[in-house]
Order: sequence, then structure tokens, then C-alpha cells
Amino acid sequence: MRGGKVRKRAAAVQLALALLVAQSAPAQPPAAPVASVEAAHAAVVVGAGSAGQGAPRSTVSDVERRAGPGAPQSTVSDVEKQGKGSAGKIRFEEIGARARARLLHHTRRFRGAKADILEMFTSGGAAVAVGDYDNDGYDDLFVTDSDNGRTCHLLHNNGDLTFTEVTAAAGVGKGNDEHSIVSDALWFDFDNDGRLDLLVARFGTPILYHNEGNGKFRDVTAQSGLNKFGNTIAVIAFDYDNDGYLDLLFGNYFKPVDLFDLKDPHVLPNNLDQATNGGGVTLWHNQGNGTFVDVTEKAGLGSHTGWTLDAGHADFDNDGWQDIYLADDYGTDRLYLNNHDGTFREITAEAIGIDTKKGMNVDVADYDRDGWLDIYVTNITDEYMHECNMLWHNNGVDASGKLTFTDLSQETGTCSTLWGWGAKFGDFDNDGWVDLFAADGLRSAGDKNYIPVLLEMIITPNVDFADVNNWPAIGDMSWSGHQKKKLFRNLGGSAFKEIAAEAGVDNDLDGRGVALADFDNDGLLDIYETNANQPSLLYHNVTSDHGHWLELKLVGTRSNRDAIGARVTIRAGGALLIREVNGGNGYSSQSSTRVHVGLGAATRIDEIEVRWPSGQREKLPPGSLPVDHLYYVKEGAGVVTAAAAGFGRASTAGAPRRGGAP
Amino acid sequence: MTRRRWEVAGSGTAARLAGGMCLLALAWAGGARHATAAPATPATSAALPAAGARASSAAGSQAPAGSPATAGSQATPGPQAPAGSPAPAGPPAPSISLVAPGPAAVAAFQNGQRALAAGDLPAALDRMEAALAADPDNQRFASEYRHAVIRAGAYDRALDVFDKLVAARPGAAFAWLNYGYVYVDKMPAAGAITQVILANDALHKFTRSIELKATWIALYTRGNSYLYWPKIFGRGPLAVADLERAVAIARSEPKRAYHAHAYAHLGDAYWRTDQPERARATWEEGARLFPQDAGFKARLSRQGDDLEAYIADQLDRSKRVDTDLRELWEDK
Repeated sequence: MRGGKVRKRAAAVQLALALLVAQSAPAQPPAAPVASVEAAHAAVVVGAGSAGQGAPRSTVSDVERRAGPGAPQSTVSDVEKQGKGSAGKIRFEEIGARARARLLHHTRRFRGAKADILEMFTSGGAAVAVGDYDNDGYDDLFVTDSDNGRTCHLLHNNGDLTFTEVTAAAGVGKGNDEHSIVSDALWFDFDNDGRLDLLVARFGTPILYHNEGNGKFRDVTAQSGLNKFGNTIAVIAFDYDNDGYLDLLFGNYFKPVDLFDLKDPHVLPNNLDQATNGGGVTLWHNQGNGTFVDVTEKAGLGSHTGWTLDAGHADFDNDGWQDIYLADDYGTDRLYLNNHDGTFREITAEAIGIDTKKGMNVDVADYDRDGWLDIYVTNITDEYMHECNMLWHNNGVDASGKLTFTDLSQETGTCSTLWGWGAKFGDFDNDGWVDLFAADGLRSAGDKNYIPVLLEMIITPNVDFADVNNWPAIGDMSWSGHQKKKLFRNLGGSAFKEIAAEAGVDNDLDGRGVALADFDNDGLLDIYETNANQPSLLYHNVTSDHGHWLELKLVGTRSNRDAIGARVTIRAGGALLIREVNGGNGYSSQSSTRVHVGLGAATRIDEIEVRWPSGQREKLPPGSLPVDHLYYVKEGAGVVTAAAAGFGRASTAGAPRRGGAP
Repeated sequence: MTRRRWEVAGSGTAARLAGGMCLLALAWAGGARHATAAPATPATSAALPAAGARASSAAGSQAPAGSPATAGSQATPGPQAPAGSPAPAGPPAPSISLVAPGPAAVAAFQNGQRALAAGDLPAALDRMEAALAADPDNQRFASEYRHAVIRAGAYDRALDVFDKLVAARPGAAFAWLNYGYVYVDKMPAAGAITQVILANDALHKFTRSIELKATWIALYTRGNSYLYWPKIFGRGPLAVADLERAVAIARSEPKRAYHAHAYAHLGDAYWRTDQPERARATWEEGARLFPQDAGFKARLSRQGDDLEAYIADQLDRSKRVDTDLRELWEDK
């Protein structure tokens, strides 16, 4: 119970949102908070979270007795009647302005007759990447901008729920120029030197910054070999060959053409349900010497020509190797299993089937705690196009060795998030069940709606969709704009309840990326949401009646230093909880690589094991891990102090107030 | 009303696609008929009346020219038809052809039915296409042929067949109608945007059929198709206009159970166009005329959001729409 907090959520959020609406487009640095908003937050004490002591929550053992994958799913009302959770207790406060973390994104402006069409098709680049670049024990933020001349932003976490912009000193603001658009960003330690490096993805060539360790970064793109032009919209890092170095997978939207100098106007999707002229993906192998080599064809990914909007990785078949899920716009998603030899095999048709939807997001978690990682994909579910999202329940590997998934989005109540974008699993109330926050909204502009105008083009006989000249101008029209965000509370693994309004996160901005992190180390996951052409939002989690928790920062030694791909298995209170560290899953965003586990009413860990990407399995002595703390775990050394793990060193922002072994 | 679903033949992938959405769809209530599989009834002369018997039966089931007012027209007047959608001036054209098929066409159709019952889809399609070639305007041939097409997933083949049929017989109103139905039948196998295109193509075929012969079934079909379009596209008033004409025809014909669908969906169209009083009046008229139809009771017993949810479920674009026309000749 966080009794020290004065909960003025409603008033504060209203004020904050009023400010947001009234705020004229702020240039950097972020606008200073308005006095009234400051006052509304003044009484909010940022303190350590403690165990939930309120109403009894569903215990992990209760829900462990759930039905198997093939059993009928409970409805929301069924679950509520069973008393599994009381919806509506999750609470957030929007503190972006007060925290000096509210940043206005600008989509790229184009020139020429079809400028607004190209702007629309490239409007996905409002991204955020979370990472503790200075190892002070607090997660920092890198937030992109996309218009020419606009700089990206590195925000240092001061540890008190405020941030300081350090972009200029760090030297990481560039990327938007006459022929490039910044579209995504990723923290990853490519050389295992203990400091997070930064990759900026672009419609163009990427930029790789090496973290010099003194708050400064150095552009090492030229020597890295990452020189291939691509219209990249997503990038993730994981060690596909388990050699101890993080590799890179780029998801490319358009085929690799210069959108600012079109030689051929046929650059848009050649089919709006089954397009085959997208940019596919590019896989880069980290050679361990600071260079990368393109292995797309060699790895078996070269035949993919879809319009990749997001890429996700995880060990879906529990074999210790990272697999790949691709969310594709205008056509079927793709699923690839790792062959353990540097190649992948596609299992789309047999595992998930061929679809025609508009895939936007890939996030991964074991939402029903059956020991298999599930996948959440957002699509378009609007009045005029009811595709439904996909909550791919992992059925596991059958006796014949076949891995399959079943879409349970309708059954679980997670089908509709309107025009979907980024969505992330996270246990926001630490009840032991991962919830789901989803951003949505494409373009909020004038009163006139673009859809009827677009319809006329779509039904024109034999129209060539690929030709940008055939698309009607958008002007000031809205297109799936002003859409309320969705927060789905997990009611016990078989149903979710939408509670965004009650939780205070139902803003109607044009959402894109969603990053989760515990920015104040209080044991509760906060949310950073980026919005296209609009200000970003920082939702501080102020849930008072929450369960116990555990956070682990894993540090690889034989494995990649970020421990991306490591799996933590916890048994507590009769529940099986698995988490995998991921390198950027989820559209246009990278969440913290710190493992966050809600434990519900369980006050002790019964068993905990880390399976490192190296293959090493390491059991941690559960008795040494009291709940409600953050621990550092070093491969081969178990639980260590923050300092021993390379964190908590003196930094420009000062030492961490919390963290490390108790 | 019960929707009848035909399964798409094929793998789990196909089944998944069948669960997709229809931007436009045609609702044809299936009543209590048996569902899904091919007709198991052996094709006999009883199952398919001989030419003369069929013509006689069909004629008997339709309002003859100059027939007296029906139960529909005697009922309490429902909502007033708006300007531009008057009741048809003369006797309405019947919803099935009154011309008896020739013996060769009947034989081909019966052979097709046997093949379908035996699960020999290629043979069924071949033989039914031969029957249609001989009698393109035959609703029963077309309806059962499309049934086989759905089972085979042979939509593009059927589109090609109907394209040739209407080219050869451009005045065959029911061929145009069934041409449109093939587009509707194909929708569950298509993606969301392709469904828009298919829906629009279907509307064009329905319109051609109406231009040739403004039958109850064609007006009901197009009106109901408009009704499925999302509100943002502004098709609601068009749905109202067509369904008002369909109801007007129903009032002028001998009462048939299938006429209930037009009353129900005209009420739905009023509801969707923010005319709740007219909607309720239409459903009340339908309930009086068709007291056994549970759909009217279901609508009239609901209010507000509950009613909206019920109508939304009736027009759920994610469901395969039943385009079986059997009621037209089975309803005596």
C-alpha cells in the first residue's frame, strides 16, 4: 500500500490533459510545467513501493487451476463473478510536463503534389527507447523526432521522476536530413563493454552510436558496416545464433527507394490485403569486432517482401533459441523458427495461418501462465474495417513437434483497439497477471473524414494502389483520429477488461510507441507513450492496492551483456511465471530490459531460475531474494551488488537511491 | 431468424479466413432449414418438378397479375413510403422465373445435384454450369450452383461463368442477381479492403438486375446490402429506399414468410438512419403480419443500447452471409 501518496489523480490528469490540449507546440526543451499542474502534483511523494496490503487479490494458486488451451474461455463477467480481481484499481497520473519528458513529435513534410500522402505513409516514426545508458540504476529515455532539421532527444532520468535533456552533450540528436527520416531507436550493448550503445533507425541508412562512457556518444556507423539503405520502421536486437553478441533485425516498410526523389511513383502497396512489394526485413550478424554483416539471405529471411511494420523475437517453442514474428501491414504476418544453425524456417501457414490484416505490433508474454510465450498483434478494428487484433495463444509443441497458436482476441476481449499501434504487456498492479496497454489513432485533424474519399479510390475499377498519384489528397481531413487508448486488465489469464478511462490513460492522441519501465524504481511499471505530430505522455503508475513484486537486472558474461533472450522462470505462490528479456519488441518502442514480475499475494519466491542465452541454467537461492526489491544478477555469479554488476556508479546524475541487493 | 452458414472447404487457414469480415453483406434469413452440406435429397422429379409442374407451382405461389390485395396490404398501414420510393405501379415481377427450364437443363441440374451429394465437386460444377447455360435466369439452378461454388471455394470460376452468362443473355435479371451473390459469397475468403471492392461489385450487379426487373428479391437484396455498409459511407438512406420498395411489393403480393425479412430490415434501416419511431412501426407491422417470426419480438422487446447491439449482431460483418434462395420456391 502506498499510503504516503496523496491521490489527486482525477484532478491532476484533467489538468495535465488540459495543459496538453492548450499547449502550443513546444520546441525543445520541453515546456516548463504550469503552476497549477505543479501544485496538483506537489503532494505526490515519489517513494518506495511496498507490498499490497489491501483487499485480497487472486492468488497465483487460484488461477493456476485454469483450464488448458483448448478449454472454453471464461468471459469477463464469469471471471469477475469468481472474484478474480477487482477491475479499476490500476491508476496512472500523466506527469510528462512536470517530469520534463513531454516532447512534441513532428512527422516529415514532403514536397510535391503527393506530399501529404507520403507524409501519411511515413508518419509512424514517433518512437521511444528506454535504457540506462549511464548505468546509474535508473532507466533513461531516447525519444525520436522525424521532420527535417528536428533533433531526437536523450532524456536523463534524475531518479526523482524528472528528466534532464542531455542530447547536445551526448551528441545523439541527428538523423533527420534531406533524404532520411528517423523512425525508431534501440539501446543495445553491441560490443559488450558494459555500456548501452544506441542505434537510430531511419528511412535511410541507420546510425550507430557507441557509448563512450562519459555521457558522450560517438558515431561509429561507417566502421560498423551498417551501410545498407532501407526504409526501416522497426529494429530489434537479439542474439539469433547465441554467440554472445547482439545481432540486429530491421523491419522495412517500403522497398528501398528514395522517397524524396521518386523515379517511379509505384511505391505504395500493390495490394491492400496481400501486398508483396514491401521492404521485408534485413538481418545483420554481429561479428563481435564492432562490425555487422548482412545475413538476410543466408538466414532464410530474404524471400519476405511484405510491408514490415514491427518485428518481435522470443523463444516460442522453448528450445532455448530466439524465433521471429513479423507484423506486416497490408498482408499476412510471418513466423519463423530458429534452426539453431544461423538460419530460420518459416512456419506461418501451419502455425498461425495466412492473414490479410494490417499488422502493427508484436509484443510477447505468457499472459495465461502456461509456460509458453504468447503474442499480441494489433490490426485495424474500426467502424469501417473490422479486422480484430490477434492475441496468439501459444498452444505449445505437440507430440509431432508442431508449434501452433490460436487467436483468442475475441474470446479474451482484446480484439478491438481501433487503429492499433504499439501495445505492451505489463503487470501494472503486480497481481501476477500481465495486463495490456495499447495505443491507437492514425491522424487527428479537421472534421472531415478521409475514409469516404479514400473509398472512391479503392472502388475505382482496376486502380493501381501502388501508384502514389492515384491516392486522393488528405489535406486537413482526419483518418481514424481522436481514438481513446485501451488498457486491458488481465482477469486471470482467460479474459481481460478494458479500464483505460478508470485508470486515467484514455487519452485520444495519435499514439505510436509504448514503452514500459519502472522509472522511479518503486516496483510499478510506468508508461511512456509517443504520439505522431503530437506531444508524448508519461504515465506514472500510482496504483495503491498492488501486489508484491520483484525486479531483476540481468547481466550477461558468456551471453550478451544485456542478457537479451534470457528467460527467468519463477515459482511463487503456486504460480509459474516466465519472463524473457527482449531487445525492442513492440511497435516503435523499446521497454526496459529489466525483468519486472508481479507476485500477487505471494510473499516469498519458491524457485527462480535464469536460462541464459549461452545455455547456462542458473538457479538462484530463493531465500536470498525477499520480494519487493530490485536485484542485479550476473551470469555465473548469481545475485550481486549493483556495483558488482556495473551499475550504480557515480554519474553526472548522482548515484541511485535504490537498487542493488538489499 | 437463423443465419445459415456454409463452410468454406479447405484447411484451417480457410476456416480462419471465413471468420473474417464483410464490409458489405447480404442477409438472407435461413429459418429452420437444414444447414451447410450439399442437399442430400436425391434429385428426383419430385425434388425438381417437371417443367410444367414447376411452372404451375411457381405461378401458383406468386401473385397473379391483377390479384386482389394480400394480407400485407390489408394490414394496418406501416410507415409512410417517402417520396421517390412509391409502390410499383403495375403488378410486381415475381422473384423467380416463371419460365420452365427445358428437359436438358433439368437433367444437367439433376446430374449436378447427384455429383454434389456424392462430393464430386468438379462434376457438380460442370453439370450445374451446363444447366445454367441452358437457363441463365433460373434462380434455383443459380442458388444451388453457388452452394457448390462455396464448398469448392471456386469463386473466381463462378464469376467467370456468370460474366459469360450475362454477356450471352444481358436481359437475364436473375443471372445478374446471382452474379452479385457470388461476390458476396466470396467475401469471407477475402481481406478487408478486397471485401470493399467485392461489395461494390456486387452492388453494381444487383443494380443491373433491378434495372431489368424490379423484383422483391432484388430490391431486398440491394437494400440489405446497403444496410451492411458502415454508417460513414452514407448508404443508409439508399437502404431505406430499396427496402421500402421491397415492402411495398410485399404488400401487393400474396403474403409469403420470406417477406418478413424485408419488414425486419426496413426497420433496421430506419434505426440505422436515426428514425426510431419508423423503425418500431415497421417492426410492429411485421409482427402483426408474421406473428411466428421471433425477430420482430426480439427487436420490439429491446430498447436503446440493447436494441442497437441486437441489430449490430444481425448485421455482423464478420459472419458469412447466407445467400441461399431456397425460400423463394419452398415457401408455398
